[in-house]
Amino acid sequence: MGNFHLVRRADYSIKRVIIYYLIGILISLSIGAILLMSLNINPIEYYSRMLSMGLIGNKFAYKNVESLIKIFVPLLITSLALGLAFKMRFWNIGGEGEFLAGAICASVVAFNSKGMNPFLTVLLMCIAAMLSAGLIGLAVAALKVKFNTNETLMTLMLNYIMLYVIKYLGDTKADWNFFLREDSDRPIFGEFPENAEMGGITIGFFTLQYSLIVAVILTVLIYFYIKKTKQGYEISVVGDSAATAKYAGMNVSWIVLRTMFISASLIGLAAGLATSTAGTVSDSITNNVGWTGIIVAWLSKLSIPAIFVTSILISVLQYGCRAAATQYPAIDQNFADILQGIILFSVLVTDFAATFRIAKREEASNG
Amino acid sequence: MAELEVITLFLFSVIVYSIPLLYGTAGEIMIEKSGSLNLGVEGTMAIGAVTGYVVACRTNSLFVGVLVAFLAAAVVGAAFAFFTVTLQANQNVTGLTITTFGVAFYFFLGNGLSNSAGGWPMLGDTTLAAQFAGIEIPLLSKIPVIGKVLFSHNILVYLAVVIAVLMWLYFAKTVPGLKLRSIGENPGAADSLGINVTLYKYIHIMLGSGIMGIGGLYMGLNMGGTFEGSNCWINGYGWIAIALVIFANWSPARAIVGTVVFGLFNSLRVYNVAFATTFPGALGWLNKIPAHFFSALPFIITLIVLILSSMRKNSSSGEPAAIGRNYYREDR
Repeated sequence: MGNFHLVRRADYSIKRVIIYYLIGILISLSIGAILLMSLNINPIEYYSRMLSMGLIGNKFAYKNVESLIKIFVPLLITSLALGLAFKMRFWNIGGEGEFLAGAICASVVAFNSKGMNPFLTVLLMCIAAMLSAGLIGLAVAALKVKFNTNETLMTLMLNYIMLYVIKYLGDTKADWNFFLREDSDRPIFGEFPENAEMGGITIGFFTLQYSLIVAVILTVLIYFYIKKTKQGYEISVVGDSAATAKYAGMNVSWIVLRTMFISASLIGLAAGLATSTAGTVSDSITNNVGWTGIIVAWLSKLSIPAIFVTSILISVLQYGCRAAATQYPAIDQNFADILQGIILFSVLVTDFAATFRIAKREEASNG
Repeated sequence: MAELEVITLFLFSVIVYSIPLLYGTAGEIMIEKSGSLNLGVEGTMAIGAVTGYVVACRTNSLFVGVLVAFLAAAVVGAAFAFFTVTLQANQNVTGLTITTFGVAFYFFLGNGLSNSAGGWPMLGDTTLAAQFAGIEIPLLSKIPVIGKVLFSHNILVYLAVVIAVLMWLYFAKTVPGLKLRSIGENPGAADSLGINVTLYKYIHIMLGSGIMGIGGLYMGLNMGGTFEGSNCWINGYGWIAIALVIFANWSPARAIVGTVVFGLFNSLRVYNVAFATTFPGALGWLNKIPAHFFSALPFIITLIVLILSSMRKNSSSGEPAAIGRNYYREDR
């Protein structure tokens, strides 16, 4: 670069960031359009079909909204939970594994709950899921605190270990395996008894699931937890500098253990709600929220309101691609992942442009 | 004789299935030695695989395919370097996004071609398939058992071993290798010694990614080049490669041993029944172990290695000290 170098912008304006983000999204959609055109698909037609999610002129549009909510709720809660850990600079990329652990334990409750009170069943499912996922998070945090074991790699390994645990449960026909359907010779995951299924408020044809209400309340609670409580403040101090936190008299180890337990058990809660909503369990129950949640949290710069909005947008993207896939055989829902990736990359570039500017050398040496 | 045959076939398949891991692992070691943790191995391999394979089929040349797989993956590496080195973006997030994007790109291209007029290119009886066939090394391949197991593979198997050995020499014996390792340990100190940290990182991230890409192509060819809408060729091997880097203690030479060990589990998953029936007395118990356990074993072992090595805190660990952290000169 010679005479030029990068300087952090002194004036940070939220307006500029938003404009730059929008430019980033536009660029990504244009790149996506080029990809679509390479397959001889009219991008405007595809995008409008994707964004309308099959709602327009559909008598059963309420069903689409319900499906969208099913994607949205676990993604939102997982992203919030991951954001909490990331704020502390704790790399919990084990969302998938924690989610699966939660889903397995929630299903243990569900499959053995015949005849129980529905509210109690779902509550117990969520508690079981939260405890199991939370304990995994706690174990990882304990190793990190005690031996400084790399948490990124630990949680990564746990993702795959849990994946094979659930695959094992789904593939093994045995007397003890209550996860499977009894009336089938092939191993297939069974369905929960009715009392383990998520209920909701019925408005006309539309059912507003309780899980959505839980998720919205949770968003508000976490917002206040981070902004207004001492514990929330401690998380950001540890994230900025563990040394500062230590010299300020904070018990860093305790904060890490506590936050990681909360983060992982929230992912467990997402799993509990998702299994109850699905009425069954499978190895694809996570819908990749453990991975997508990382992208959502990062796109949102770990801000809680932004995570809420981004989760909606990504859910629309995912569900829209799924809905459009019925019309375009050449493109399946993976196109959502491509767009997600391009959006993140574009936003990384525009975000950089919003925080840094190019300055002349001499100007910098004076300043 | 049947017993010996089962053992020979088993060991042969160990080599066949561990080689893509060696490409992925060696590539990731090179990147991690420069102080960057790239979690995009799976996606990088997927992009290298699908582009390399399609071009290899069009040109009917393995050499061109390898070159394109290398270059395509190196471009992905350049993107990783651009985001994490130049733009200072977070390495974990960038790497994971590369994986999401890469695997999705694999399906995008695969589905797109399968639904196009020409259809998905098939390997079949092409010259390409002949080029990928096993090469019996004269004399050596005539040795019983070992000859078949070690010296009758396709050219990419040998290439992987050559790359790993060369990389080991590069780190241990050459000046650029030493400089690279110093960047991984302490980029600030390396910078003050006049080493161009940015350039070194770019070159080695791209080289490492390119090597992964060849591994991806190998996997595609090994699967006969058939595209399925549900399963990616790479099928989690990228993640095992990341695990293997830890198991190999960041040494390309140990990575060769490590890949064979991990390949052993992988092949046991397929061969456990054959073993149990051929040696009912000694190995009958293998039948009772679920296949999923062997699939999970690489991750379980890596988790244990990870925890144990952090408990011992020994100085012989090959983990670069500055791994995962971006280097911003003006924050020094």
